[in-house]
Amino acid sequence: MSTLNWGERELAYDVSGFVSGKGHFVDDIKLPGMLHMTVLRSPYARARIVSLKGGMSSKDLKARMASVGEGASSEAGLSIEPVFATEFVNYVGEPVAAVFAEDRYKSADLLESIEVDYEPMKPVVTIDDALSMGPIHLGRKNNIMAETIKGADFKDPDSPIVIEDTLENERISANPIEPRGIVASFSEGMLNVWISTQAVHSIKEGLVESLRNSELLIHVMQTDTGGGFGSKGGLYPEYVIAAFASMKFGKPVKWIETRREHLSSTHPGRGMRGKVKLFAEKDGKITGLRGEVMIDAGAYDSGIASFSPGFVAMQMTGPYFIESAQVRGKALFTNKVPQGPYRGAGRPEASFLIERMVDMLADELKMDPADLRLMNMSEKPFTSPMGLKIDGARPFFESAVKELGYMTEVKNSKGVGLSFFVLVPAVYPGESARIIIRDGRVRVWLGGNSHGQGHEVFVKKLVNEELGVPERLVTLYRGDTGMTKTGVGSWGSRSAIVGGAAIVAVCRKIKEDVVKIHGRYSTESLLSGSYDEFINNELKMPLNSFGANLATVEIGKMGNVRIKKCVAFYDVGRALNPDMVIGQIQGGMAQGIGQTLHEGLFYNDEGQLITSSISDAGVPLAEDLPNFTVKIAENRSSLPHGAKGLGESPTIGVPTALIRAIEKASGKRLRRTPVTPEELIS
Amino acid sequence: MGTMKIKTTINGKKVEAEVEPRKLLVHFLREDLNLTGTHVGCDTSNCGACTVLVNGKAVKSCTMLAVQANGKEIVTIEGLSKNDELGPLQKAFLEKHGLQCGYCTSGMILTSFWLLKKNRNPSEEEIRKGLSGNLCRCTGYQSIVESVKYGAELMKEKEEEREVAVR
Repeated sequence: MSTLNWGERELAYDVSGFVSGKGHFVDDIKLPGMLHMTVLRSPYARARIVSLKGGMSSKDLKARMASVGEGASSEAGLSIEPVFATEFVNYVGEPVAAVFAEDRYKSADLLESIEVDYEPMKPVVTIDDALSMGPIHLGRKNNIMAETIKGADFKDPDSPIVIEDTLENERISANPIEPRGIVASFSEGMLNVWISTQAVHSIKEGLVESLRNSELLIHVMQTDTGGGFGSKGGLYPEYVIAAFASMKFGKPVKWIETRREHLSSTHPGRGMRGKVKLFAEKDGKITGLRGEVMIDAGAYDSGIASFSPGFVAMQMTGPYFIESAQVRGKALFTNKVPQGPYRGAGRPEASFLIERMVDMLADELKMDPADLRLMNMSEKPFTSPMGLKIDGARPFFESAVKELGYMTEVKNSKGVGLSFFVLVPAVYPGESARIIIRDGRVRVWLGGNSHGQGHEVFVKKLVNEELGVPERLVTLYRGDTGMTKTGVGSWGSRSAIVGGAAIVAVCRKIKEDVVKIHGRYSTESLLSGSYDEFINNELKMPLNSFGANLATVEIGKMGNVRIKKCVAFYDVGRALNPDMVIGQIQGGMAQGIGQTLHEGLFYNDEGQLITSSISDAGVPLAEDLPNFTVKIAENRSSLPHGAKGLGESPTIGVPTALIRAIEKASGKRLRRTPVTPEELIS
Repeated sequence: MGTMKIKTTINGKKVEAEVEPRKLLVHFLREDLNLTGTHVGCDTSNCGACTVLVNGKAVKSCTMLAVQANGKEIVTIEGLSKNDELGPLQKAFLEKHGLQCGYCTSGMILTSFWLLKKNRNPSEEEIRKGLSGNLCRCTGYQSIVESVKYGAELMKEKEEEREVAVR
């Protein structure tokens, strides 16, 4: 299908097209003269490039990656990823060169025309390697990419109970079923980009900065985006290469990622080790928390690598009222692909640390884990020692214990786990929206871009509520930098909150315009006129969504875990569409189970990626998963449309409840994800 | 590289084409015939996004060469709706929210179609097992299972209608 023929219908989000094969994904694009790009990648985790002949490489494009999107780094330095590897390669899968041909088969054939000599070096593969070995980058003293402290220092409380432990989350690949991809087409002085993304404005900003061309006329358009889960929020080297190549050759260039490339070269999430010390009174009151968070950040400061340790540290007291807490965080260089955001992006890691420790404290005190949690809750809002504003949590969690059926389960099951959390969504800095009214129709664009969440559903509803226009006359179009001047992106459980607030704000602006002309507002006068309003709706206020999960399991003789129940009770604010809310939660629960039981990216001592397929990476199958029970509470937020965040709730709450259930059923203390059958029967 | 001539039926239409022997069926469908509803999601035949029907049976079109389609009948997602009217499983997936991002959907529907041809009343367990060659990362599968169950009902109703019409 040629994009040249994409009209209004083809540019709108439209779920109904997917059931008959009428999507508009980036790999569906065909343009005259289009070249297919194939990337030659480093086969070594760490090596010096002795010589390189053939293909397009750093000899043609010596550029560095811009840091844009979720958790973007503000510090430029030695550790920014080059677009093409220059003197050294620092992870398996790092782009070294690229080739171009008129079809994908010929393009792949051309890889053989490139000759590279490497001199392999000893790689830094694990967090321990990073701490004990010399720096991977010349000009650095050690392997510390970023370091931070959250919370004020305090004197150890004089409490009789002190427990301490080390906990870990393996790295996970986001693995949307559609891999990444881009088509770049430079013609008549304009660079047109079609891309599978969560944030067209991050791509635009990133390309301009990486190509060091502030005069560049660039138009970035989102194609239908087949999942992202964080991995498609930012910029990657292949995008810069494709844009550069299109400008150089004067032809459209397409690059579509293979799954193997996704596993080796798309920023994975998690990759965290934390040490936590908890101080408590005999009655269960937690008096202090000390922690240390270490992030396996990968070879360069891309993705959220340097942002991660502070973000995890910030949230380590969870929803609990703990008077004193201090957490140190470090992001460490390893010879692996840079770490990035994956559904939760630090929130699940923080929750894993505090919830595991609270369960251990319950065992130590022989207290019921629900009672222990409730007694450390506050009735009133408070600010945590790390500076997070937490709403009064206790009433919600008291009702959660009942809603989840916890008391009945404890009586009936030996393998039961419970978890509590607070989701703090990425509200800052708000979002943009534009509405054009013409020909009796309402056309809408959002700065942040749907990649499967169905933003069009809440947009239609809110436009209907604000302006009285029937939903069938409202269309939301895919992300397009030609239609919104600025914009942020879709991540951090934010879109219904900030996108929704932007829609309400822009609708109200238009309403004022109608009143100015007609003296009063009516839907008829709106639809008979022409209006065009854009708003960059800034939002800074902190929001909380509380949630709780319950899981019950049985363990088979071979250490296989059978999940009997997986229940969620989440405060979602006002559910703009309950079916979509429940669908989001179910999908996230599957990913939470994936992290706990199946998923990981594994490297050997040489830094070679040994996870070689989407199945190896552990993406769960239908038969791996139970039916989920999802219950929602609708306590409106302070925003006009009442929304709260929910997309990341299940990846925060499910792993902690499930690992506890497995711990209780197996009698083994569990400290890391994924849990393997071997450790349950050893 | 030389080409080979193949004759095949795709969505009821006879197709004759010259193809490179190394070309995968999925690329032939997508690139030569513009049937872009069939997707590629992995390189290892795990994800099932490329599933089509070959002589009535669900096959991953990334595991088959285009030349192996010679003399065979292929149905892709585009072939399940007649004159823009959605088939029962397509309707069921929409109504029961059996999709979010839409990328795995074509493969899911074609595998489910084959599953229901073999077993008109599958249990939940049979559906989950039957879909084990198709990965979805968005839904957690629960709504897909419900879509297949509902699709089975709609298919039966349709058959009953047809029987009544014949009588």
